[in-house]
Amino acid sequence: MPKPDDLATLPDADVVRLAQQGRELAFRELVRRYERPVFSLVFRMVRDRETAEDLSQDAFVKVLNHIDRYSPEFKFSSWLFKIANNVAIDHLRRRRLDTISMDGSPHAATAAEVEATAFDLQSEQESALDELEAKELGSAIERAIATLRPEYRACIMLRHVEGRAYEEIAATLDLPLGTVKTYIHRARHELRRALEPLRQ
Amino acid sequence: MHDRHLRPDEIELLLDGEEGFGVAPLRAHVRICTSCHSELEKARELMIALDALPDFAPSVKFADRVMSQVQVFEPWHAAALSSARQFVPASRPARVAAGVGAALSAGVLTASATWAFARADIALLLAQVGLERFRDQLGAASSDVVATVLGQPGLAALQQGSAEVAALAVGSFVAVVGLGVVGLRALAGASRRAR
Repeated sequence: MPKPDDLATLPDADVVRLAQQGRELAFRELVRRYERPVFSLVFRMVRDRETAEDLSQDAFVKVLNHIDRYSPEFKFSSWLFKIANNVAIDHLRRRRLDTISMDGSPHAATAAEVEATAFDLQSEQESALDELEAKELGSAIERAIATLRPEYRACIMLRHVEGRAYEEIAATLDLPLGTVKTYIHRARHELRRALEPLRQ
Repeated sequence: MHDRHLRPDEIELLLDGEEGFGVAPLRAHVRICTSCHSELEKARELMIALDALPDFAPSVKFADRVMSQVQVFEPWHAAALSSARQFVPASRPARVAAGVGAALSAGVLTASATWAFARADIALLLAQVGLERFRDQLGAASSDVVATVLGQPGLAALQQGSAEVAALAVGSFVAVVGLGVVGLRALAGASRRAR
């Protein structure tokens, strides 16, 4: 039976295979490998540590309790991130705490649609940001990320913090490749605009 | 070469390192336009800052909390394989010896089974003889029990009587034993209540 030290050197696919054979150490190894990335993604999505822990836990439990359904042709991490992102998005939908892009819907095609779907920065967002300043996500860039739409935020996190390729993000989030590129480009553009006053 | 400043999406193309058709003029423009060059540099700085964002750690007990809700299930084939591995010797010579032993045992068992199948008539005869002996011994043991409980006259009456008489005698015996047990339990219960 492999020891924890041996497991640490194995690729994900092998650790998953051991988990499918009922090895508890393999389950623990998968949690150890991905607890920080998954928690970071969810934390930046929901912006509350306690909620992020609960949601990350839900994501892990869902994935690990259905490890027998894992298909090795996909990356384990993509599957896990997909579930974590879905859990976070569902939570945001339920709580209606989304901070909507100042640019309006990404699907808006005309100027009128952009204006109609644009979000007016009112007290809810300001109070959320005020609250953030006292917490971990307090740096300027983190605050700017907090103003992005959740879809943009997930793409930006997977691209830059987790270093995932565009194709992988598209597979993880079930989005067309072009949409992922658009989201990331718009998100970076919004971040530049949000951080511009600081530079000046 | 472009005679206007780059749009945000064009800056993103350059940031992503795209090499497609139409990118070369954008690069050429950036080389001569200080404003677009500055925009591209700012965009690069943002990318570097994003890449440097740290991961956050959950609480120390996070893994334990997850594992408390995970059902670790070992499939039967994995359990069987794991059990079988326990019997495999560690050293190579011992493994070879165990393998030879297992092969010899399997050979003997196969030969025995083949012989028994080929000589099914003998196996049937042996089985009948064994069954007959078992029946005789069971009858003798039952007679001993009845003789002990009812005495020799009772045994003789049972042997001479019909099946109905035998059933009546056995039923009466069971009823008497049952009543005895119930009586004892009632006595024990009354004694407990009195205490």
